Amino acid sequence: MSGVAWLLRIAAVVVLAAPVSAQDAPTEAITLPGGHEETKPPARTVPAGAKPKGTSKMCGVCHSEVRVKYEQGAHDREGIGCTSCHGGNADAITVGSAHTGGYRGVPARRAIPALCASCHADVTKMRFYNLPSDQYALYQTSQHGVLLAKGDSNAAVCTDCHGVHEIRPPEDPQSRVFGRNIPSTCGTCHGTPSFQARYKRKDNPVTDYRKGVHGRAYLTGASDTAPECTACHGSHGATPPGVGDVEKVCGQCHETAREYFVGSAHKQAMDDAGIPECAACHHSHNTIAVAPQKISTVCQECHDEGEPPLRVATTLERMIAEASEEIAKADSLVAQAASIPLYVEDYRSRLQDARTALLESAPVTHSLDTTLVEPHTRRARSIAATVSEEVDEKLSSRWWHKVGLGLFWFYLLLTAAIITRARRRAAADSKR
Amino acid sequence: MDPKPNDKRSVLTWIEDRVNLTEIISFLSVFGLLPSELDSRKRVREALGEVMRRPLPSYARWPHVLGILSFILFLFLGLTGTMLAFYYQPTADVAYSSVTLIARDVAFGGLIHQVHYWAAVLFLLVLGARVIRFFFTGLYARGREAIWMVAVLTFVFATIADMTGRLLPWDTAGYWTTIRAREVTDALPILGPITAFLVGGSGLDSLVLTRYYVLHIAVFPLILVLLFYIHFSSVRRVGLSRVDRAPGTRSLRVAMYDLLLLVLFMVGGLITFAVLLPHSFGVVADPFTTPPDAHPPWYLLAPHALMEAFPAFVPKFLRGLIPEIMLAAVLFLPFLDPESGSGTRRRLFRNVGIGVLLLWVVLTVAGWRLEVGR
Repeated sequence: MSGVAWLLRIAAVVVLAAPVSAQDAPTEAITLPGGHEETKPPARTVPAGAKPKGTSKMCGVCHSEVRVKYEQGAHDREGIGCTSCHGGNADAITVGSAHTGGYRGVPARRAIPALCASCHADVTKMRFYNLPSDQYALYQTSQHGVLLAKGDSNAAVCTDCHGVHEIRPPEDPQSRVFGRNIPSTCGTCHGTPSFQARYKRKDNPVTDYRKGVHGRAYLTGASDTAPECTACHGSHGATPPGVGDVEKVCGQCHETAREYFVGSAHKQAMDDAGIPECAACHHSHNTIAVAPQKISTVCQECHDEGEPPLRVATTLERMIAEASEEIAKADSLVAQAASIPLYVEDYRSRLQDARTALLESAPVTHSLDTTLVEPHTRRARSIAATVSEEVDEKLSSRWWHKVGLGLFWFYLLLTAAIITRARRRAAADSKR
Repeated sequence: MDPKPNDKRSVLTWIEDRVNLTEIISFLSVFGLLPSELDSRKRVREALGEVMRRPLPSYARWPHVLGILSFILFLFLGLTGTMLAFYYQPTADVAYSSVTLIARDVAFGGLIHQVHYWAAVLFLLVLGARVIRFFFTGLYARGREAIWMVAVLTFVFATIADMTGRLLPWDTAGYWTTIRAREVTDALPILGPITAFLVGGSGLDSLVLTRYYVLHIAVFPLILVLLFYIHFSSVRRVGLSRVDRAPGTRSLRVAMYDLLLLVLFMVGGLITFAVLLPHSFGVVADPFTTPPDAHPPWYLLAPHALMEAFPAFVPKFLRGLIPEIMLAAVLFLPFLDPESGSGTRRRLFRNVGIGVLLLWVVLTVAGWRLEVGR
């Protein structure tokens, strides 16, 4: 091996071992002894496997358990060391000298939000991580922040949700603030009856949520867009929406339903009576989708039978039921035709249109105006009815198959008669 | 044969002077359509007239009808199957759409498809009925061993041919029936590995479909042709069954008319079934979704139920051995009961046979309830 190759090897080791100097190194081509060229990418600021600055350093020697947790978190990766929060001297080699120089120890619970905010509310520091810096401001307006300011030490602070040392980013599935982990994170307080009782609440919003349509859709993985706790309550500014604001929160997703609800008689009447809008019929945490055949049952929670509102409910029920019956009828006819098989692709896509129209009628029911719902259900019904009619005609036009079968048997029996006659003759011949 | 210039000048004579029609027609005797070979030295009219006058029991009438009926059904399956093969494509990608094309767009394709289906159903029923008739009339006694074994084997191979045919449309029912059938056959100790070898493993993909296709249209039909050939040639040696009610009262000419009537009504029956009770056309197979009513074909429900009836600690191969032993016992019945004519022994075997048949029916119902009636 030539001496040049050895020199290159040593140079490569030096480049890898000196990350700071390597940062400025341009892309270089190394010529290997065989004449092959190997293009090396410029080295990263922090080479893989190397420890960034500002890690636990000497603190981890005594606080090894904390260190293990801390190294799982995002702060370690970004080089935010122990002293950033706890103060002290991370390079010291004795306990005494380590716990000096602005050493804060364990921060007081009440001081934690402000401590985190010293970086996270600093736009100049957060800008490069593309992280928001308004969490502290939001937090101070939240129920958590308000109660903490009043001296309630039970109120959640940053570390209750994000973890203390093992602070993982929200996109990490192991993070306490990862979407599907949020209900159990909130549930550590709000899912505990003793905690709820302290604030004079008898419900358990977390178990209710898990039973509701949102919880079932989201936690089973059936939907990635169904909401968890923070989608409705906010995360840092967590606050239960007041009576007049429920429709705004629900309307973020259920836009059309909100539009029709706001224009309906319910909006003002409910706000005046202090009824929590959407939640009055659909419940708050144990959310239910009101089935079309249950509309009047739900209305009866407030309205008496025979009253005009209930008549609207039964009319809605009837219109939707008629449309879905017509679609079901067309479906079974199409399935019958497909089992022959006949061409049904066109009918299937038209029935899809009918289903879409029926689906569109659901948000419109919030207007409580049957004349607005009627065009949708009528469209669904009429598409389905036309499909039924056409398929029925196609099916019944197969009558000629039976006529053909009759003619066939006529011919067959005629032939049989001729053969029988010939056979009789042959039998007579053979006896002779 | 020398051309005879003084003969009546007909087209037939012209052809006969050049082609030995008699020998060609004589070939039909191989498959039981003629009771004996024709004298190929004679002209066809003469030779046929001779053989037609020969007295013989009409095999196209009960109780002999089942043999020739099964053979005619087999021919009909071959005919309709060939028609289907003109359009069918045996790969997983296009099998279903090619069957859809046959059933929906090809002229009379739907009818041919349905007739093929019903002919297969009838074929199995007739072959099964034939084995049962042979048993209860003692037609497996000394001298008829080969005929009995061939009858049993014909039924067995016909069921396997039916099983391979079920996969070909690549629809949900066919696909999952095949999966369930393979679960049953794979559990059998000796036949299981043989099946796996023929099909190439336990998977079910496009290549397996192609293999099933080749087995269905080439291998099993050839085996069945061979079995029919052995049957008809053996019958000529051993004679038709001795329980004839009126032997030798008819000539072959009359028997031929009977045969013609049989074919006529068989085709009529098949077309009637096809039009009035069409086999429902399913949706394309989805290997990732097991339908709740996926079950083995009807002839495997009994062995399946029998194997499931054992507690879990009984090893799989032991469970599979019992249906195999039963099949072997049926196949070698003539050697277990060589004196099938004599009094008490005959009655004993008859009762055992009734017992086995009832058990079969009960197990089939149990298998059905296990799979579909859940």
